[in-house]
Amino acid sequence: MRMRSLWAIPAAAVLAATVLVTAPAAPRAQETTENPFTTTLDIRMGQRLYQQQCTRCHGQTGDGGELGPALTNGFTSASTDAGLFRIVREGIPNTQMIGISRNATDQSVWMVVSYLNSLNSTPAVDLPGDVAAGRMVFEGKGNCSSCHMVGGEGGRRGPDLTRVGDRRDPDELVSDLRTPDEDLAPRWWTLRVTREDGSVVEGLRMSEDTFTMRIMDENEDLWSFSKSGVRSYERVTSSIMPSVNALLTEDEVEDLVAYLYSLRREET
Amino acid sequence: MKRLAIVLATALVAAPAAAQESGSGDGPSFSPVTWERLLNAADEPENWLMYSATLDAQRYSRLDQIHNRNVGELELKWAYQIPQLDRAETVPLVVDGVMFITEAPSNVVAVDAATGRQYWRYDHPLPDDLRICCGRNNRGVAILGETLFMSTLDAHLVAIDARTGNLVWDRETADHQAGYSKTAAPLVVKDQVVTGIAGGEYGIRGFIDSYDAASGEQVWRAWTIPGPDHPDNQTWAGDSWRTGGSASWITGAYDPDLDIVYWGTGNPGPDWNGDVRLGDNLYSDSAMALNGTTGQLEWYFQFTPHDVHDWDAIQVPILADLTMDGEERKVMMWANRNAFFYTIDRETGEFLLGKPYAKQTWAVGLDSNGRPIRVPNTAPTPEGTLVSPPVGGGTNWFSPAFSPRTELFYVQAYDGEDIFYKRDEEYVEGDQFTGGGAQRPLPADNYYSAIRAIDPRTGDVRWEYPIQPRSTAGVTATAGDLVFSGSVDGYFYALDAVSGEELWHMNVGRRVHSAAITYAVDGQQYVTIAAGNVVFTFGLRD
Ligand code: HEC
Ligand code: HEC
Repeated sequence: MRMRSLWAIPAAAVLAATVLVTAPAAPRAQETTENPFTTTLDIRMGQRLYQQQCTRCHGQTGDGGELGPALTNGFTSASTDAGLFRIVREGIPNTQMIGISRNATDQSVWMVVSYLNSLNSTPAVDLPGDVAAGRMVFEGKGNCSSCHMVGGEGGRRGPDLTRVGDRRDPDELVSDLRTPDEDLAPRWWTLRVTREDGSVVEGLRMSEDTFTMRIMDENEDLWSFSKSGVRSYERVTSSIMPSVNALLTEDEVEDLVAYLYSLRREET
Repeated sequence: MKRLAIVLATALVAAPAAAQESGSGDGPSFSPVTWERLLNAADEPENWLMYSATLDAQRYSRLDQIHNRNVGELELKWAYQIPQLDRAETVPLVVDGVMFITEAPSNVVAVDAATGRQYWRYDHPLPDDLRICCGRNNRGVAILGETLFMSTLDAHLVAIDARTGNLVWDRETADHQAGYSKTAAPLVVKDQVVTGIAGGEYGIRGFIDSYDAASGEQVWRAWTIPGPDHPDNQTWAGDSWRTGGSASWITGAYDPDLDIVYWGTGNPGPDWNGDVRLGDNLYSDSAMALNGTTGQLEWYFQFTPHDVHDWDAIQVPILADLTMDGEERKVMMWANRNAFFYTIDRETGEFLLGKPYAKQTWAVGLDSNGRPIRVPNTAPTPEGTLVSPPVGGGTNWFSPAFSPRTELFYVQAYDGEDIFYKRDEEYVEGDQFTGGGAQRPLPADNYYSAIRAIDPRTGDVRWEYPIQPRSTAGVTATAGDLVFSGSVDGYFYALDAVSGEELWHMNVGRRVHSAAITYAVDGQQYVTIAAGNVVFTFGLRD
């Protein structure tokens, strides 16, 4: 299984990279190589290494911890397998990211890279639904655009779905649509704030700390409050997104899922 | 203006004998820190002479120019930017107007304490094959005479000249390639430098060392896991004691009358798989009381026998003399990572009382000797077991404080939970050896930290101030009846030490992962905190 097809380096790119090796900077051999260890077994081996050496900072499943960022939302410090290899091998200079143990072989590093990729990719599968029809539902009957942006257009009260197909697989998309309250991330809780004069402002919980909170109301206006400056506030831990169950037919949901799953990075 | 300041200084400073008029240029800064000065550090509150302020580690300052009625007027006086991207865990020292700040990975810089401008810096050369579990941290230096002592990530102890930053001596205390490293501030005891070791996730065998301050020669080593010639070695199945961890990576305390050094020890290794090390695993997760001259073990108290949750007893022990049930007791107070608070007789090690101070689901309670009575089925499994406190504990290494004015013990506590997993793992020298892991079941926003004020005579929580999300900053108490601490999302704040009411807070923008110090120069009291990569110093409006 080839993860993240974006990284399948085309022949021309490999050639270019090979030329680079002779340049004075002399990058290491692995920068020019493709990951040779990408089978399911390799991923499992990589996961084992990850669990031994990386969970302390990045969390048991890669979704981040106190000492390290999440590794499940793409990478900011690497855009290729070779780049990931180097980070895992050497760490990131002048940060807490220290890299894998010195004893690790190149093979194990590649396996960790494969595991990291598996956290960030969804398999390419054929879905029964119709993409074009799904898009119609999204923009029309489903009223999805009122809350979600795709390609810079749409509402602001839900997550940007431009690349939702990269991070959610079809099963997850179905549960996103049918049971939006399940596993609701704190970013999408609602804060209901009662001000000193008794008036109420409520909106999505953009961030909250010991002393302050910031929300977006249904007009997409931004508000900031000091906790000591309001009468009370309350958390609502259900989603503002309505379930599609009462709204759309089975077929429409199938089409929507096909459309959403097609929303991924351009493949080269 | 300046004159007024100096007049204030005389009123403020309890023992003017050691006081220097530094920073003003009226006289030279810095004078040697004798053992006598360290013994009486509480009497010169204008200086912060060791990691936990005083040998009893109360982390309490007698300065009271900043107090619970004017703390709202604090403003920024200066900032020092550390040229490293790590989170700073430094607790600076201040000696007669000179501040010593440690930086990641293992560097130290001396600045003028009134302006934050640099005198000198020392950059410690490090090998590129360090083995460190949890970041390139350094928590501070110790001082004796004109020499600073610093732990380094490659497990060296270095002595640095306090006036120039020149290296005086450099001693390897253990092999960094075998997983040993050093992050904590050492503790000066008479003419010795006592220091612990990190590496509990690498299957090391822990110890506490003492070195001659002048020469760097080792004076004693106390193994935190006894060797096979000692009966307590039987508390480790087979050869497991050789890789049993029990590191000692935070600074202890010292009682000069009893000549006892108190030091905490970390988890047994591998952390989460206890099957390979059946037994109580002495002296992991314990308080060790060591003779200050010989390093002989006087007594120990094990908080968590046969730990399988990584609940290190790596906390700063706080010593105080308290009247309990009409009797004067020399006690040691300890809020442990296992979520229980303990008051222990520090002469004998006798357990006096213990109570949970944070959410816990693993023990029914403590028996009359302070040994936990475990809830069944709370050990990690391959499928995962949900337990409170989480791996990070009810608290962790960040310092607590004690105010002799309120006689309350202040701690950054956390009510959380984790799913604990167990795995099989082979020991490979220099590799991590943990045997499992832990995972928080819900997003962090579902849990709270709190500053809790505990009455050490009863173990009851007198008040709490909730902080969100989970925070990892130490606590500092002052005679102005203030308690300073910080939060993980970048607040530095002051609470009323008596009531717990919030009096002041400042957004310093990045994680506070350290503890505040307070000092005075030219009669002006300052409060310093490291946050993110910056050391901020606050004082009252002029
Ligand atoms: C001591 C904590 C720590 C450990 C252990 C650790 N990391 Fe990291 N890691 C970090 C931090 C902190 C960063 C962010 C560094 C920065 O500021 O750029 C990071 C960044 C990364 C990144 C780049 C993320 C991005 O968005 O580009 C990758 C990939 C990564 N780590 C993988 C690993 C792997 C694989 C391991 C185990 C072999 C590991 N880390 C072990 C702390 C750690
Ligand atoms: C009232 C605003 C609102 C409407 C209307 C709405 N959503 Fe959402 N949606 C949200 C919010 C808020 C979330 C994030 C919280 C959650 O998962 O429920 C979300 C989450 C999602 C997710 C998961 C995204 C991710 O990154 O995990 C998908 C997919 C999604 N919506 C699709 C749709 C579709 C398709 C429709 C139309 C049928 C729709 N939404 C209508 C507000 C809305």
